[in-house]
Amino acid sequence: MTSNPPEVEAPEQGEESEEVRHPLADYADHVAETVGGEAVITFDTIKVSVPAERWVEALTAARDELDLVLFSFLSAIDWSNETAVGDPLEEPLEEEYFEVICTVSDLTEGRRVTFSTRLDHTEPVIDSLIDVYAGANWHEREAHEMFGIRFAGHPDLSNLYLPNGFLGNPLRKTFPLLSREVKPWPGKVDVEAMPEEEEAEGAGGDEEPASESEDGEEA
Amino acid sequence: MTLQQDLVRHLSEVSVSVELETPEMTLNIGPQHPSTHGVLRLVARVDGERAFDVRPVIGYMHRGYEKLAEVRNYPQITTIANRIDWVAGYANEIPFITAAEKLMELEVPPRALWIRLILTEMARMASHLIFMASYPLELGAQTPLFFALRERERVLDLLEGVTGGRFHPNFNRIGGVKPAYGSGSTTRKWVQDLPKTFYEETRTAMDEVLHVCDQLENLVADNEILVARTRNIGVLPPEVAAAYGVTGPNLRASGVPFDLRKVENYLPYDQFDFNVITAPNGDCWDRWWVRLQEIRESAKIVQQAIDSIPSGPIQAKVPKVIKVPRGETYVRAENPKGEMGYYLVSDGGQGPYRLKIRSASFSNISILPWILEGTLIPDIIAIMGSLDFVLGDVDR
Repeated sequence: MTSNPPEVEAPEQGEESEEVRHPLADYADHVAETVGGEAVITFDTIKVSVPAERWVEALTAARDELDLVLFSFLSAIDWSNETAVGDPLEEPLEEEYFEVICTVSDLTEGRRVTFSTRLDHTEPVIDSLIDVYAGANWHEREAHEMFGIRFAGHPDLSNLYLPNGFLGNPLRKTFPLLSREVKPWPGKVDVEAMPEEEEAEGAGGDEEPASESEDGEEA
Repeated sequence: MTLQQDLVRHLSEVSVSVELETPEMTLNIGPQHPSTHGVLRLVARVDGERAFDVRPVIGYMHRGYEKLAEVRNYPQITTIANRIDWVAGYANEIPFITAAEKLMELEVPPRALWIRLILTEMARMASHLIFMASYPLELGAQTPLFFALRERERVLDLLEGVTGGRFHPNFNRIGGVKPAYGSGSTTRKWVQDLPKTFYEETRTAMDEVLHVCDQLENLVADNEILVARTRNIGVLPPEVAAAYGVTGPNLRASGVPFDLRKVENYLPYDQFDFNVITAPNGDCWDRWWVRLQEIRESAKIVQQAIDSIPSGPIQAKVPKVIKVPRGETYVRAENPKGEMGYYLVSDGGQGPYRLKIRSASFSNISILPWILEGTLIPDIIAIMGSLDFVLGDVDR
């Protein structure tokens, strides 16, 4: 993933001389090989990316061959350059896309793998996972209404949370937050530092002067 | 087949269709029905006393927390986390805070972890005690409510004594826990510890909780009506539960010894001696029984933690303005209701780029259409109650 530099690439065979191998690296490689994807370990989370057309096939292999039978969740991330609210990405993307993520786990050792795939930003479509994991039903309905991703083969993509006839997909980055349009966010005002804090000033690795939240104090 | 057999079969079919023919109707349960624990609506096709095609309608409490998290900074999000499963508000903070700490690669002091663990277990007891109160009530037994709520109040008092909040503690800070404000002091002095009487009161409270577990067991387990209404009702096989993402006590009642406290390392549970409770049948009775035993295990954990709590700081050194480095991770925790997890994507800013909230009740009640198919209408109440969900946890 170009957008996430801190991810540690699962080291390939033969180049493990200098870097300490992550304890999950062997398992990550095994998963990637079984489902035919690419594995990265990002902060103790194994993330395996597969092409969208092999999505159902990969998750079926995960369930049947790797015994990852517990369906944890399915959701999406909108990788977008345009944002209506919230901070935009620091480095603009060359190509905007949706990332569908689905985490599954086994029921013995607690191994969990997050599968990920990229979808086109203008017309996101992907095959439904309902036949593999029955629990994907509601999660896909949620992703459908929140991101506008179409799940081919899903029997009923009606709104789960939103009222019927709701316009737009709220979790897209381009969707505005109405309350912020009406009134600026009061949480952004600067607060004064606590009296003791001034004494302790300079003790920690401060980056910026205290502002924003009441949680700025040093312990 | 002889002609006679043919005739007998024909006649029996005729009589059956004459006797049992009832007009089908659509039954609407909720959204304000007391048995639905909030605003859940069920639409069922009813044939006589049996319900088919049950369709849960949710979203009455949807507050859009995943969107709101994108416009808040990290310390502000714990207030949102509290309000997801408000019966165990404290426990919701843990996986989120752990995820942020993981991305920051912070080392949290052991004392802070111990305090988190104690309070999480207290939240679990409070949540399970609410279930012990409400579940028999839904089946017509009122007495357990008084016993369970009395002890729950005791546990919540302790939680309030430490955090200042019964339901919404907002107590965790990135890198530690909130320093307690000196109780009774007139000077504005920040005291970095638990209240003075905490250990003693907790020991007494845990004894009381263990005692009330015995009382509840006597009250409910010997109650013939309650047993008749829950034994072999709403049986959930483990494979189905896993495919739907049903977790927590509901999964363990189906015989799967899967507890995230044993397999994930978000809190130092490996330092404690406790059992993963399972039951073999996966029916409503087992789900009740597993939760009762889990209260006892939680009390055991708290007793051990009180004795072994290390001294030292309760907060790691963090910058005044929290910025979480770029990266993503999924952290899940064993909450009272099941697997609660946060998939946190950070772009290096003061707030997350995306925060996926995986709540336990959402997946737990997605099983409803499957488990309620063809059940009797009174059993709907028994089954729904036994799944122990909170609508805030469903709708987020």
